[in-house]
Amino acid sequence: MLVMSGINKVYQTEQVQTHALREFNLSVAEGEFVAVTGPSGSGKTTFLNIAGLLENISSGDYQLDGQSIVGLSDRELSRLRNEKIGFIFQGFNLIPDLNLYENVDVPLRYRGFSNKERKQKIEHALETVGLSARMKHLPSQLSGGQQQRVAIARALAGEPKFLLADEPTGNLDSLMAKQVMELLENINKQGTTIVMVTHDPELARRAQRNIQIVDGQLCDFTIYQGGTVNNDTDKNAVA
Amino acid sequence: MFSYYLQLAAKSLKSTPITTLLMVLAIACGIGISMTALTLNHMTGTNPIPEKSSQLFAVQLQSSGKTSEWPTSDNVPFQIAYQDATNLMRVMPKYKHTAMYKTGFSVRTLEPKFAPLLRTARVTTRHFFSMFNVKFLYGAPWSEKVDENPTLQVVINQDLNNKLFGGGDNTGKEIFLDDKTYQIVGIIEPWHPKPKFYDLNNGSFQSTEQLFIPLVLSSTYELPSFGNNNGWKDERNNTFKDKLASEVLWLQYWAELPDAEAKEHFQQFLTGYVDEQKKLARFERDDARAVLRNVQQWLDYNEVVGDDSYVLVAVSFMFLTVCLVNSIGLLLAKFLRSAPSVGVRRALGASKGQVFSQHLVEVGLLGLIGGLLGLVFAYLGLTLLKNNFAGFDFVATMDMVMFLSAPVIAICATVLAGVYPAWRVCNTLPSIYLKTQ
Repeated sequence: MLVMSGINKVYQTEQVQTHALREFNLSVAEGEFVAVTGPSGSGKTTFLNIAGLLENISSGDYQLDGQSIVGLSDRELSRLRNEKIGFIFQGFNLIPDLNLYENVDVPLRYRGFSNKERKQKIEHALETVGLSARMKHLPSQLSGGQQQRVAIARALAGEPKFLLADEPTGNLDSLMAKQVMELLENINKQGTTIVMVTHDPELARRAQRNIQIVDGQLCDFTIYQGGTVNNDTDKNAVA
Repeated sequence: MFSYYLQLAAKSLKSTPITTLLMVLAIACGIGISMTALTLNHMTGTNPIPEKSSQLFAVQLQSSGKTSEWPTSDNVPFQIAYQDATNLMRVMPKYKHTAMYKTGFSVRTLEPKFAPLLRTARVTTRHFFSMFNVKFLYGAPWSEKVDENPTLQVVINQDLNNKLFGGGDNTGKEIFLDDKTYQIVGIIEPWHPKPKFYDLNNGSFQSTEQLFIPLVLSSTYELPSFGNNNGWKDERNNTFKDKLASEVLWLQYWAELPDAEAKEHFQQFLTGYVDEQKKLARFERDDARAVLRNVQQWLDYNEVVGDDSYVLVAVSFMFLTVCLVNSIGLLLAKFLRSAPSVGVRRALGASKGQVFSQHLVEVGLLGLIGGLLGLVFAYLGLTLLKNNFAGFDFVATMDMVMFLSAPVIAICATVLAGVYPAWRVCNTLPSIYLKTQ
């Protein structure tokens, strides 16, 4: 699903050159649920932005669903992002002026679906997260947990193959966090590949695989399978 | 996607009512002022008789003295002398041509209790009506015979007919013009060419005359000119007859020449006339000549749309620019404030081009609203001009071209002004606004 080979990401200012990712190699198979952990400033967000086609790489190769993204135009990248990737953010990032229906509608609009198709998909997505009765509500009228469920509905509406979650439970209380995690696990069971950035080791343990990024490099590789833990401490491991 | 962008634009404008109001007001003020100036400029430059503009020619003769100076671009006087007018009219029957000047009368009906009205009149020949496409409501121009033999006949316009008789066909009735009774032979439909091209003396946008009488009466009844009298020669004009025989320039002269051949023919005739007058030592200048100008050329030559009008338009558009620059600042602030939402849209699959288009549609909607309000401001401005200054009745009126131009100019100007803010917002890195850790 996702193959990153020898990726480098360098932020350059007039005086400073910062290597956010160095020779970064990672492969995520279709249907996997991968948790990404690491200390602040380690490069998790850069990895997520690159994986989500929101930032360009300085060098290396990145293949998403078998297609290399190197050299693609902004329009092509946007189309790829729209069709293949769903985003879930810690701060929900719902558009405050739009109601729930309109928020979920956003990615579908750029996809060019007909009115009828969009309506079906939006209603189904909101139903999946249990919010079909509140379609006309504004985000500000919902709790944090409900807003995150709307964000998940929005990410799912276009039926992407790949879901990127950035601290999806970071702003939620433990009960809400549990509900959201269960939702993500269900989504994963239905075949969607999920890469989740988190600080919470408990959440990370619920993923099939845990990777750790330190100083822009992949440094830990753990597979959790039915309570069995396998550790591989080789840096830059490729699954 | 356009309708979606339009929905988003409406939502966005509603979500920031104060900023929207400020931007709309800035655009409306700019459009209102510039459209007022543009309308005045446009209407003053309107061709008053487009269907015959290229066939009607003002005739000028350089008949003045060697040292005479005239306020024209080619130093040829605007008007001609009475003796030249009568000389020219005596010949060339092949083409319609007419001399004319403005006079005035105290007008009343034969009803003793009728309070006299002071009205201007045009002294001319019967060809005036057909040359300038003047339509008759009742009756017809006086006959050719009346143009040669002084007969007290008059054509009046509908307004005067209504004032004198309350309307209706009153041809055949008599009215007093000063102390003489004239028989009404025709009543014309409302006719208000603007600019008043056939006589641009004393203001290009003056009202047309309400009475028309035969030129031949001028000498018989010594009808004075209410227009300009341009004298260049030291001569004694103690009586009206002296004036008729003098070199004073006080008549306008027009010819209808249907094609290039006719124009050339008439020009040759005029050149012959000038040569003849030179031989008679009446025309003193070496550059004595006759000049023909069609209606548009005549309006340009008379600078009906003056430089000040263009300056006013330029200044008003500078004002519009200032308004737009202020709007750019507000737009930039508004758009950059919405950058987090743009970041989300980009993450969800919007391309830079789509974000750019979305914001341009918003700017266009803003321009449309500003333009429509600007149209109201322009209407108020023009009404203010009409109500407070004489002679603005026609020029301070918005025609369909101007009416449609206002929103188009507003949209184009604001979209142009919105390009930079839209470009800025579509080029912001989405990841910056999505970062939450």
